[in-house]
Amino acid sequence: MNKIIVLLFLLTSVMSSDIKSDQIITRQGQVSFFSYTSVENIEAKNNQVLSIIDLSKNEIAISMLMNAFIFKKSLMHEHFNESYIESDLYPKATFQGEIIDFDPSAEGVQTKFVKGTLTIRNIAKEIEIKTDIDKIDGKYLITGDFEVVVKDFEIKIPPILRPNIAEVISIKFRFEYQPYEK
Amino acid sequence: MNNKIKIVIFLFGLLLLAGAYIYMMFYDASHINVINTTTEISTDSRELTASFLNNEKQANLVYKDKVVEVVGIVKEITFLNNRNTIVLQGGNKNSGVLCDMQSDQFIKVQQLKKGQKVELKGICKGFLKDVVLLNCMLIN
Repeated sequence: MNKIIVLLFLLTSVMSSDIKSDQIITRQGQVSFFSYTSVENIEAKNNQVLSIIDLSKNEIAISMLMNAFIFKKSLMHEHFNESYIESDLYPKATFQGEIIDFDPSAEGVQTKFVKGTLTIRNIAKEIEIKTDIDKIDGKYLITGDFEVVVKDFEIKIPPILRPNIAEVISIKFRFEYQPYEK
Repeated sequence: MNNKIKIVIFLFGLLLLAGAYIYMMFYDASHINVINTTTEISTDSRELTASFLNNEKQANLVYKDKVVEVVGIVKEITFLNNRNTIVLQGGNKNSGVLCDMQSDQFIKVQQLKKGQKVELKGICKGFLKDVVLLNCMLIN
């Protein structure tokens, strides 16, 4: 009887330590976006993006504060938050998805597709992003870029400013994950 | 004579325009000097994190976009993405205060150690898993 209890205890402790190492986290992921037009180029960076990956299910979740994007000009920051994104109403952008055919145990770089839902201003869009996943010494680095159509998220740009903002915005990301110990 | 005055006015105007353009180009919103702004709320990192964990909506009403002064214990210092970040201990293991320091704070940040008590102020942007403060400066 005692042996069974010890065995059970060992088994559950092994299982719980597995759960621990199955999740990885970054609290300081970087997401930047670029809008290129002949009138002006707009660029902004967010260095406090949160992301968690569950390696046992290959599920990825990303969340960011829209008002934490840093712009070169304060006026751009103001327009972005107050007029376009309306960050008081929609403070966060999120992504929830799955890394397709990803092998967490493989060392080195793997190029994989991430399929999931991007939600900005409460509008959800299904997207597919090509990413590079680099595993070095048990740490994962995920990088990539993709494009977002401004119209898809019902962002209203006044006619006078339309030439200043690209219809398609390029987005780049870089996430360095650590084991997530709960 | 009249032409000369016109040219001078024109050149002066041009200079003004160029100045305004350069100012617009290089004015960096990320360099708001927080130290010269008055603190709107003073708190400690445990209390700040706890209020967001308890009721994020309510905490946003109190802290968001305000200049917040925070006292806390340094949990971690990182230089990821070329930023200087101090993480202050929160009430639990998983949440704290993420303080993105202004670039002129680099030398001061380098001298800090884990476990040290610090006082800093920055602009509160909201909460993910941690409270996010931008444009932070240490207060001595």
